[in-house]
Amino acid sequence: MLDRSGARSRALGVKDKKPIRKKSIRKTAAVLAGKATGALSRASGRGGGTTLPGDVARAIDPRVLSKLASDLTQGSVVITGTNGKTTTARLVTWLLEGAGYRVVSNRAGANLIFGATAAALNKAGPDGRLRADWGVFEIDEASLPKAVAEIQPKATLVLNLFRDQLDRYGELESIAKKIESALSALPDSSTAILNADDPRVAEIGLGLPKPPLWFGLDDIRVAMHDLPHAADARTCPKCGASLHFDAVYVGHDGVYECPNHDFARPTPNITATNIKLDGFERFSADIAKTHIEIPLGGLYNTYNVLAAFAAGRTLGLKPKYMAERLRNVEAAFGRQERMEFRGRHLNLVLSKNPAGFNETLRTAVDLAKGTNFLIGLNDRKADGTDVSWIWDVDFEQLKAKAKVVVPAGSRAHDMAVRLKYAGVPAEPPQAEPGRALDSLIKATNEGDTAHLLCTYTAMLDLRAELVRRGWAKPYWET
Amino acid sequence: MPRSKKQAFTVGWLYPDLMNIYGDRGNILTLLKRAEWRGFEAKLIELGRGTTQQMEEVDVFFFGGGQDREQALVYADLLEFKQPPLEQAVRNGAGVLAVCGGYQLLGHYYQTADGELFPGIAMIDVKTEAGKRRFIGDVVVDANIDTLNPKTLVGFENHSGRTFLGPKARPLGKTRLGSGNNGSDGMEGCLQGTVLGTYMHGSLLPKNPHLADYLIRSALIRRGVDELSPLDDSVELAAHERILQRAQHAQSR
Repeated sequence: MLDRSGARSRALGVKDKKPIRKKSIRKTAAVLAGKATGALSRASGRGGGTTLPGDVARAIDPRVLSKLASDLTQGSVVITGTNGKTTTARLVTWLLEGAGYRVVSNRAGANLIFGATAAALNKAGPDGRLRADWGVFEIDEASLPKAVAEIQPKATLVLNLFRDQLDRYGELESIAKKIESALSALPDSSTAILNADDPRVAEIGLGLPKPPLWFGLDDIRVAMHDLPHAADARTCPKCGASLHFDAVYVGHDGVYECPNHDFARPTPNITATNIKLDGFERFSADIAKTHIEIPLGGLYNTYNVLAAFAAGRTLGLKPKYMAERLRNVEAAFGRQERMEFRGRHLNLVLSKNPAGFNETLRTAVDLAKGTNFLIGLNDRKADGTDVSWIWDVDFEQLKAKAKVVVPAGSRAHDMAVRLKYAGVPAEPPQAEPGRALDSLIKATNEGDTAHLLCTYTAMLDLRAELVRRGWAKPYWET
Repeated sequence: MPRSKKQAFTVGWLYPDLMNIYGDRGNILTLLKRAEWRGFEAKLIELGRGTTQQMEEVDVFFFGGGQDREQALVYADLLEFKQPPLEQAVRNGAGVLAVCGGYQLLGHYYQTADGELFPGIAMIDVKTEAGKRRFIGDVVVDANIDTLNPKTLVGFENHSGRTFLGPKARPLGKTRLGSGNNGSDGMEGCLQGTVLGTYMHGSLLPKNPHLADYLIRSALIRRGVDELSPLDDSVELAAHERILQRAQHAQSR
C-alpha cells in the first residue's frame, strides 16, 4: 500500500512533459542561481546553506516559492506557533515519508520565507521543477501571511501563541493579528488546524469564516492548577475579565472560560487522553481512539504529536498507520538530543522562551529527576536581544533538587543573577562554551545524566563545541 | 532594644497579571529578597483590578509595562480605584518604581500618532507622545543620585513613546548608551519625590542592586531605618559590569 501511494504520486508528475513556457525561464534561472549559492555555501564550510540560496533565488524571481509550491503533486502543510514548530514539522514529514511520499521541508529551523524557499530549491531539478509530493514548512509567526499567500497550503497548523522575543516581533497582539489575517485569506479547500487550549489561538479561530479543526488535551491528571508566571493571554477578548482556568497544561494553554460566559475553550474535535509521561524518554496517549507510544518526552510534545496526528488525518493518513510510524521517530535537531561523553549522558534541549523553558525544566526536574544542569543563555538576534524574559521562567523549580547548575552562554552572568534570586546555588558563570562544558563535565560523575537547556544560538555554540570535540555530527548532515 | 517581631517591608505590585511583559517579576524578586536577606519580613501584595486592599501598608509600589490591550483595561481601573490610595501612600512617603507603560500612565498624558490624548494620573510632571521609530537595545545611564555606588545604571529599552519632563521632575540620569526618554535630550527616566519612572527593564533591579537598595532605604526612612546592612553583590555587579564593557565596545567601534 505504501509503495502504491508513492508510485501514484510519481505518476502525477506528467506535467514534466509540458514544453517550457516563457514565464518559467525566470523561475529556472532563479532556481539554478539559488542552488549554486547553496553548493558554494556548503563547500566553503560556512554553514548548511539553509537561507542564503532562497535570498538569491527570490531576488531573481520574487514568485519562485509560489511557482515551486505549485509543482508539488499533493500540496503543502504550513506549521506556525511560538513553540513546537520544528518538532511538529519533523513529525508530519516523518508520517508522510513513511507513507511513500516525497517530502520537501525546511528542516534546520530556517523558518522565514527565505528558508522555505531555500528548502524548495534544494529539491528542484536542473529544469527548475520541484520534484516532490508534499511540502511541509515551519513558518515563523510574523512571516505567516506572506508564506500562506505564496504556498497556498492544504492545512495550516497553529500550535500556540506565547510571549517570545518582544524586541524582534512586537507584542503578542500584533502577531495574533498577522496570523488571523493569514488564516482568513485561506481558500475553502484549506483547513486550519488550531489549538483549542490556547486562549489567543482560540480567539483567532472563532473569528474565521470557515470553522477550524480544533485539537486539545483532555487529561486533568497531567494538569497544573495555577497559571505559571509566564502566562500571558488570560483575559476575555469580549469583556476583559480574567479567564478562569479549570486546568493548565503548558504556559497559558488549558481549559478556560470567562467568568461572565462571554468566551470559553472551543470543544476540541480531536483530543489526547490517558496521557502517561516518562521523563524525556517517551510518552503514551490515546489520540482519536488510537493508542500512541512515542520516544519523545514532556507534555509539550504531547501537543506536537497531537497536532501532527490531526494534520495527518486531514491529509488522509490512517490512524493505525500513524501510531505504528510514530513509535520510531527521532527528536528534531537539538530540540532534544542525547549524546555520550566519557560515560556521561548529555541531554541537549532547546528552551527558548518562558513557556518552553518552564516545560523543559518541569520535565527535567519532576519527570526525569535531573540533578545536573547547564543553562545556556545567548542574546543574539535569533535568541532575542532582550533577556528580561528569564525572570518569568520558574527557575525556582531547581531549588533543593539540582546539585550542579552551570550558567552558560553570552549572558551567563545574567543567568547567574537569576539563579541567585531563585535560591539556586550555581557554579561560576561561563560565557565561553568550552569552559561551560568543562565545568559541567567536571561536576558530573560517570554514568550520570546532565541536562543542557539552551536558547537557540547558545545551543548552536555548544553543539559546535561538541562537534569540535567529536561528540556529534554537524547539523546539516543530520 | 531587642525586637520580638521582624520589621516588615512590603512591596505592592500594581496589576501583576496584566502589566508584566518585560520580566517585571525580576524587580519584585530583587526588592523582596534583598529585604529578606537583611532580616526584614518581606511581603508582597498583588494589586489586581478592583482591589485597593492594604495599599496603605505598601513601602514600594511597582508599576510595569503591558501590551496595548491590557494597558487599556488597567487604565480604567487606575482611574476608578487605585489613584486616590496611591496618591495618599506616596504623600506618606511610599516609593514608586514605574517602568515603561507604568511610567507613561503616571504622567500628564499620552498622545497617540493621530493626536488623540489619553490623560494619565499626573503624579509626575512628564508627558509622552507617540514616536515613529521604536527604541530597542541596551541602555547605560550615569545616574543623577548622589549616594549611588557605582554611579551607572544598566538596562534594556523597547519603546516608541517619547517622554518629556516638566520642571517638577528631574531626569534619573544621562544616557551613555541608548535613547532614553525621547532620543533627543540625552536623558533617561525621571525622579520626583519618591517616584522613579524609567524605560529601563531587563529586569532593571537585578543588575542594579544599588538602585534596589536606594528604593528600599528611601521608603524605610519613615520607619526609622537609615542604614541597610551591606550584602555580597559580586554576582549582580559582575552582570552589571558585562553590560558596561559591551557598551564601551559598542562605542569604540
